[in-house]
Amino acid sequence: MTPCRSVTWTTLLAASVLLAVSPGTAGAADVVKFGISTPLSGPAAPWGIPHKNATELIFDEINSQGGLEIGGKKYKLEVVAYDHKYVIAEGVATVNRLIAKDGVKYISILGGAVVKANEEPVNENGVLNLPLAYADGLVSPKNPLTFHSFPSPPETTTFWKWIKEHHPQIKRVAAISPNDDTGWWSIKVEAAFVEKLGYQIAGKEFFERGMTDFNPVLLRILAQKPDIISVLASPAGSVGLIIKQARELGFKGRFIHTGQVDTSVVANIAGKANVEGMWVHGYVQAPLPEKIKSWQARYTKKYGEWNATSIDFANPAFAFVAAVKKAQSLEPKKIGEAMRTVEFDNLWGKAHFGGKDYYGVGNQIIYPMPFSEVKDGVATLVVQLSPPHN
Amino acid sequence: MTADLLIQSTIIGLSIGSIYILMALGLTLMFGMMHIINFAHGAIYMLGAFAIYYIFFQGGVPYFAAFVLAMILLGTFGYLIERSIYRPIKGGIEPTLVALLALTTFLQAAGYPIFGQLDKHVPPVFQGTRNVLGVMVSVERLMIIPMAGALVVGLYLFINKTKMGAAMRAIEQDKEAAALQGVDVHAVNGLAFAIGFALAAASGALMAPIFKLDPMMGEQPLLKAFIIIILGGLGSIPGAILGGLMLGLIDSIVATALGAEPAFLLSFVFIILVLLFKPTGLFGYAP
Repeated sequence: MTPCRSVTWTTLLAASVLLAVSPGTAGAADVVKFGISTPLSGPAAPWGIPHKNATELIFDEINSQGGLEIGGKKYKLEVVAYDHKYVIAEGVATVNRLIAKDGVKYISILGGAVVKANEEPVNENGVLNLPLAYADGLVSPKNPLTFHSFPSPPETTTFWKWIKEHHPQIKRVAAISPNDDTGWWSIKVEAAFVEKLGYQIAGKEFFERGMTDFNPVLLRILAQKPDIISVLASPAGSVGLIIKQARELGFKGRFIHTGQVDTSVVANIAGKANVEGMWVHGYVQAPLPEKIKSWQARYTKKYGEWNATSIDFANPAFAFVAAVKKAQSLEPKKIGEAMRTVEFDNLWGKAHFGGKDYYGVGNQIIYPMPFSEVKDGVATLVVQLSPPHN
Repeated sequence: MTADLLIQSTIIGLSIGSIYILMALGLTLMFGMMHIINFAHGAIYMLGAFAIYYIFFQGGVPYFAAFVLAMILLGTFGYLIERSIYRPIKGGIEPTLVALLALTTFLQAAGYPIFGQLDKHVPPVFQGTRNVLGVMVSVERLMIIPMAGALVVGLYLFINKTKMGAAMRAIEQDKEAAALQGVDVHAVNGLAFAIGFALAAASGALMAPIFKLDPMMGEQPLLKAFIIIILGGLGSIPGAILGGLMLGLIDSIVATALGAEPAFLLSFVFIILVLLFKPTGLFGYAP
C-alpha cells in the first residue's frame, strides 16, 4: 500500500469510527431518544415486537402533532430499539450500546433476567428505566429511577381470589416457569399467595429457556394430579409447547398465565382446542372498550396486523410522556420525581405509580388489571381487578 | 416412580433418543471419514424443519414426500458445501471448522429475515394418542422411533453392503491407501457431506410437527449430538446409536424422577465416568 493510499484509508477509517461512536448528530438537540432493549426475535418476540411497536406508535402520534412541548420548546420523540433475543449477554450489550453509543437517558427493557443484569449500568448512569419485567428486587429503593410499567405477580396473583370464588372445584395447583430470576420470583410469589388461599401446591418445575421437550417435566408434574397448571413468566412459544405436550399426556385441566402471553401465538403451536379455558392476564381480544378499539385501528393501520399485547405494553410510553409533561424537564431525576405523583391515562383507564407499602418505594404501575379466558379461541375479558396495594 | 410412569418415560426416552441418534449419526460419519466436526449440523437441522414448514405445511405436499425432498435438498446442499468449502481448503481440519462455524452463524442470522421473527409451527402429521403397555403416548412421538430406525438401518446397509459404503469405510481406515486402491476420495467425501447433512435435515423434518420452529432451534440438539458422539466414541456409528439411546433415556427417566436440572447434570456426570474408564468413548478407538 502506498503512503498516500494508506493515509486515505486511515482517514476514512477514523471518520467512520468517529461517526459510529458520536452520540449526537446535527439536529439531535431537538430529538428525545428513548431506548428499547427487547426480544425482537426468538420465543419471546411476541412480547418484544408489540413493546417496540406500541412505543413507536405513541411517539409518532405525538410527533405528528408537532412533538412534545418541554419548557416552551417542541421535541420530537425517537425510539432506538435493539433486539436482545431474551439472552442476558445480548441484553447487557444492547443496554450498554444504548447508553454509551446512542446516548439515551430513558430506556425500557423487557425481561426480568435482562433487567437485573443491567441494574448497575442503569443506576450508575442515572438512566430512567421503564421496564416490562418480573424479577425479585427490581422495584426497590435501590433502583430509584426504575419504574416498573406492567403489573407484577404481587399485583396479578390477586386473580386467584377470583378463581377461588368462581371455580371452587380447583384445589391443586402446579407451576412450570423459566429457570431464571423471572421464573423463580414469579413462582415464589404466586405459590405463597395461592397457599395462603388454601390451594395445594402439586409441583413446581423450572425449565431452561429454549427447552422444547417438556415431556419429562410434565410427566413429573402430572403424576401429582394438578387441577390447573400455572405457566407464569413463560414466553408464548414455550407455553404453546407445554400445553400441546401436556394435552398429549392426558391433562384435562386448565392453564393459567397471570403474567402476560399472546394466546393466539400459543394456540398456533398448541392447537386451538387445547388452549380453550386458559386464563391470562394482560391479553384481551374481546370485548374491547372504544378507546382500545381506536388504538387497535391505529395500530393495525401502521403495522398491518393487530397485536393485543400492545394494549398493556404501551404503558412505558404513556408513563414517560405524562411524567415529562409534568416535570417539564429532560433530567431523568426530575422526570422520576414527576413519575411518582403523576396520574395518567393508559388504555385501560387511570394509572399511576404506587405500591410503596409493598415494595418500599412507589415505583410500580397500578391500574385496573384485565384478566381474560380463552373462549372459542378468543381471549375474552372476564374481569378487571385492582391490585391489592395502591 | 410408579411402573406406569417408568414405562411412559421410557417410551418418551426412546423417541428422544431416536432423534439424538439421527443427529449424532451424521456428525460421527463426517468425523470418522474426514476428522471434522460439523458445527453447521444444528443449522442444517433447523433448515430441515423449515423445509417441512414450507414444502408440507405451506406448499401442501404430502408429509413423507416433503420429508424425502427436505433430505434431498439439504443433502445436495451438503455436497455443494464439500465442493465449495471443504475441497478448496484441501481438507484442513482447523480452516474447515472455522468455515463451518461461519456457515452456522450465517444461516442462523439469515434465518430471522428469511423465516420471520416469530416462531413457526407445523400442524401435527400423526394425530392422537395410543395406549402402550397401559400408558398413553402420543402417536407423533411413537412414529419417531420406526422412522429413525428405518433411517439407521438404511445407513447401516448402505455403509456395509454397497460399493460406495465400502469406499467410505476404506477412507475412514486409511485415506491414502484407499486413494491408491482407486477410491475417488473427493467424490466419497462429497457423499459423506451429503449423507451427514441429509440426516440432520431428517431430524429437523421429524421434529418440525412436534416442536416449534425458529432459526436457533438447532443449538440444543447439536449440543446433545456432540455429547453423544463423545460418549459413543468419535467416528463410531454403533457408538452414536448406543450413546443416543442412553442419553435419551437419561433425559427422560431421570428428568421424570428427579427433575430437568438433575437430569442435565447427571448426563454430564455419566459421560465423565465413561470417559474416565474409557477415554475414547464406548466404541471409540485410539488413532
